[in-house]
Amino acid sequence: MQNKNEVTLKKQGSVVIFNIQGDITSFSEPFLNQAYKEANDQGTEKILLNLEEGAYINSGGIAVLIQILAQTKKNNQQISITGLSEHFKKIFNMVGITKFADIHNDVESAIAVMSK
Amino acid sequence: MITMVNNQNNSTVQITLSNRIGYEKIAMACSASFAEMFGFSNDRIEDLKTIVGEASTNAMEHGNQGRLDARVVVSMSFKDDTICVSVADEGPGIGKQPPPPDIARIIENNEAICGFGLFLIKQLADKVDFTKKPDNGHVVHMALNMKAQADHAE
Repeated sequence: MQNKNEVTLKKQGSVVIFNIQGDITSFSEPFLNQAYKEANDQGTEKILLNLEEGAYINSGGIAVLIQILAQTKKNNQQISITGLSEHFKKIFNMVGITKFADIHNDVESAIAVMSK
Repeated sequence: MITMVNNQNNSTVQITLSNRIGYEKIAMACSASFAEMFGFSNDRIEDLKTIVGEASTNAMEHGNQGRLDARVVVSMSFKDDTICVSVADEGPGIGKQPPPPDIARIIENNEAICGFGLFLIKQLADKVDFTKKPDNGHVVHMALNMKAQADHAE
């Protein structure tokens, strides 16, 4: 019962938005890595991970997201996340993701901050 | 298979899951319905779903090591404003528990990415214990009070 993600990339100004459909689990790794590779190959400097509202995120998915964070830090890219419920905002704060990625309530506010 | 037992002092639900990743969501949904019946807040229900999901996934992946013929048994009971959940697998259990993951070290490639499931369980549950079954098997026992952690930690 492997879940599949659909990740579509959309450029808005200087920010590349990853619109991610589906749950974020260890099975998300190839989908997110492929999307990151595409964005990175295009010389992207700012990435916004826009998660689907109500998506299930487990520790395997958190590990995948941390791998992406590690790559963005290595490549000096700015990264933010939107689409999180209050519960997952708490979880991301607990595990320390918020030290490496800004969390925004919606895409518009994230783009506004990231475009400065 | 879902079994419900009710008596005057507590109510128990037991779910037997096939060892298939994804089925943890069945246990999560059951735990959410169970907690809702006893008036848990949405915040605490989300905490409960996370600890049930993580413990079940750990049981499938690490305890039962992906064996499709193995089972995971999730039991829930309610008493004194607290839901107690146990998640049993057929594995030998964890030896040395991993230290809490350090995301800064992971990001710098100095530490492997592991231990987040157990870390979240320990952060969200009010009590966590591990026991070995005499007939080869391992059980994680977790307790979650219906009040938010900050409200009953003092």
